[in-house]
Amino acid sequence: MSKFSTLDKYVSQQGKYELLPFRFESLEDNDVVLTNFVGEFVILKRDKLDEVVQKRLSPTDETYSLLRSRHFIKEVSDTASIELLGLKTRTKHSNIRNFTNLHLFVVSLRCDHSCQYCQVSRQSENKAAFDMTEETADKALQIVFRSPNPAIKIEFQGGEPLLNFDLVRYVVIKAKQINEVEKRDLQFVITTTLSLITDEILDFCKEHKIFLSSSLDGPEDLHNRNRPRPGKDSYSRFVDGLQKARDKLGYDSVSALMTTSPASLTRVRDIIDEYLKHDLDGIFLRHLSPYGFAIKTKSYEAYNVDRWLEFYREGLDYIVELNKQGVRFTEHFASLLLTKMFTSSDPGFVDLMNPSGAGISAVVFNYDGDVYASDESRMLREMGDTTFKIGNLHTNSYEEIFTSEALLNALDDSFTLSAPMCTDCAFEPWCGSEPVFHHAIFGDVLGRKPESEFCKRIMGVVRHLLNKMQTDPEAKEIFMRWANKC
Amino acid sequence: MSGLFFTQIQTMKLEIDEQIYCLEAVQKAAYRFIDRLTILITKVDGKLVCEVDAVAGTEKHFDENVANFKRELLDQQLRKKIKEETEPARNLILAYAFSRSGLQG
Repeated sequence: MSKFSTLDKYVSQQGKYELLPFRFESLEDNDVVLTNFVGEFVILKRDKLDEVVQKRLSPTDETYSLLRSRHFIKEVSDTASIELLGLKTRTKHSNIRNFTNLHLFVVSLRCDHSCQYCQVSRQSENKAAFDMTEETADKALQIVFRSPNPAIKIEFQGGEPLLNFDLVRYVVIKAKQINEVEKRDLQFVITTTLSLITDEILDFCKEHKIFLSSSLDGPEDLHNRNRPRPGKDSYSRFVDGLQKARDKLGYDSVSALMTTSPASLTRVRDIIDEYLKHDLDGIFLRHLSPYGFAIKTKSYEAYNVDRWLEFYREGLDYIVELNKQGVRFTEHFASLLLTKMFTSSDPGFVDLMNPSGAGISAVVFNYDGDVYASDESRMLREMGDTTFKIGNLHTNSYEEIFTSEALLNALDDSFTLSAPMCTDCAFEPWCGSEPVFHHAIFGDVLGRKPESEFCKRIMGVVRHLLNKMQTDPEAKEIFMRWANKC
Repeated sequence: MSGLFFTQIQTMKLEIDEQIYCLEAVQKAAYRFIDRLTILITKVDGKLVCEVDAVAGTEKHFDENVANFKRELLDQQLRKKIKEETEPARNLILAYAFSRSGLQG
């Protein structure tokens, strides 16, 4: 008598499977992409989808085991699929349970740059009226440590935060004092152009392990054109500052972000080459946002989402080719989406969260004590729109701020799982609700998704990623590395 | 396409057999095309009637958009079938996911 059953004992009973919740979208060439409850995906031919839904799929078909392994179908007696999907759902939403991680301190609205597309509507005059005070910072720190999150990130924003560095110093020292009792995983970031960086500032950053997030828009001519300042030397100041900061703090302590101005559109390869020239290991190909000076100077209207997608696709394809040649370089927006597509983790990027990350994942303390649900919310405020002001540090308590109608209504009304079109969209698990963007464009936090540039942008990028994975196995391997970074 | 009949060319009218495509599927398909097609849905003699016009600026793609709208009807009907069939599983997954959250009533 054999100790083992024959193989046919393990083959599923024909037709005895049930569907698990999934959504689908059409792709090119009669393909459809299916996404399950937590964003795992499979690409099938349309005919095959019909076969699946009509329960005509044979257990010997290779699609059968693929769909079963990714929880699109389950056999009648199989209870593990439901439990696994439940666990993955919980993991995917664990960020919500932790509540606010990122706390932005707008320490000054003053800036030495006058960028055409600036989303912050900077104040360039030397006015102390646009600096945060110690009293306001104290109130903000009280709110910061009310967050239940075991990890707290304090990010100093501007204007140019180094113009009020005394306050940065004050907040860092005070936060660390409080943290001696709180014992959180506390991290600091200064968002700076590096134009005003000094050895003294860098010594302080080194002592307190402060990261620097900077801006590089591309080659010298493009960068200086996008980022005018007295002396027209923004680029050379960035390069000098980057070198100094790396020497003092280490290579990984400084990162850079770019913004796509109208002048950038034909130069994506030059921009990427510039990042490589400075040994930066990735780039975030960012579009313009409809706030602040980007609106006043009509920069935002200078290109539409289709043109940006063309720019993005050219850039991504170039980066993939570089990776194939052995150059390790990441496009960070793709990396965020791919993390959502290939893992159960949510990277916690505010734009790609549902419910919206505004207020929940990040909160902004403006220089004047007003509290906003996100960085974009305070950008709107500088345009006179206080819709997303959720309180004031001097007059409102923690409870009042985080249960304010302004916050709760925005989260509730923009929830994608109850939004027209989003609720049936296969890309929803990878997307976000973005109430502030939709409010800025449509005047309501939901907007009409078929007309939404946000929706078109996410769909455009996702479709390109899926198409590349379908047609280029090497690109898929590269993407999986981006999604599963150690 | 079964269940669909053309009756006019100018403002295009589509008559839809509600036994094949339900109102919800038609509404959802119409919403997805809101940036390209203006679709007014009425019910006449037990049939759903869609009056379809091009959104200004999209006229030259009208035929293509209507063809895609018809494909979308099929997709929406299929989505509805999957959604209805998987509702108990969806509820069970959510119940399991939040089983330790202390949020159950």
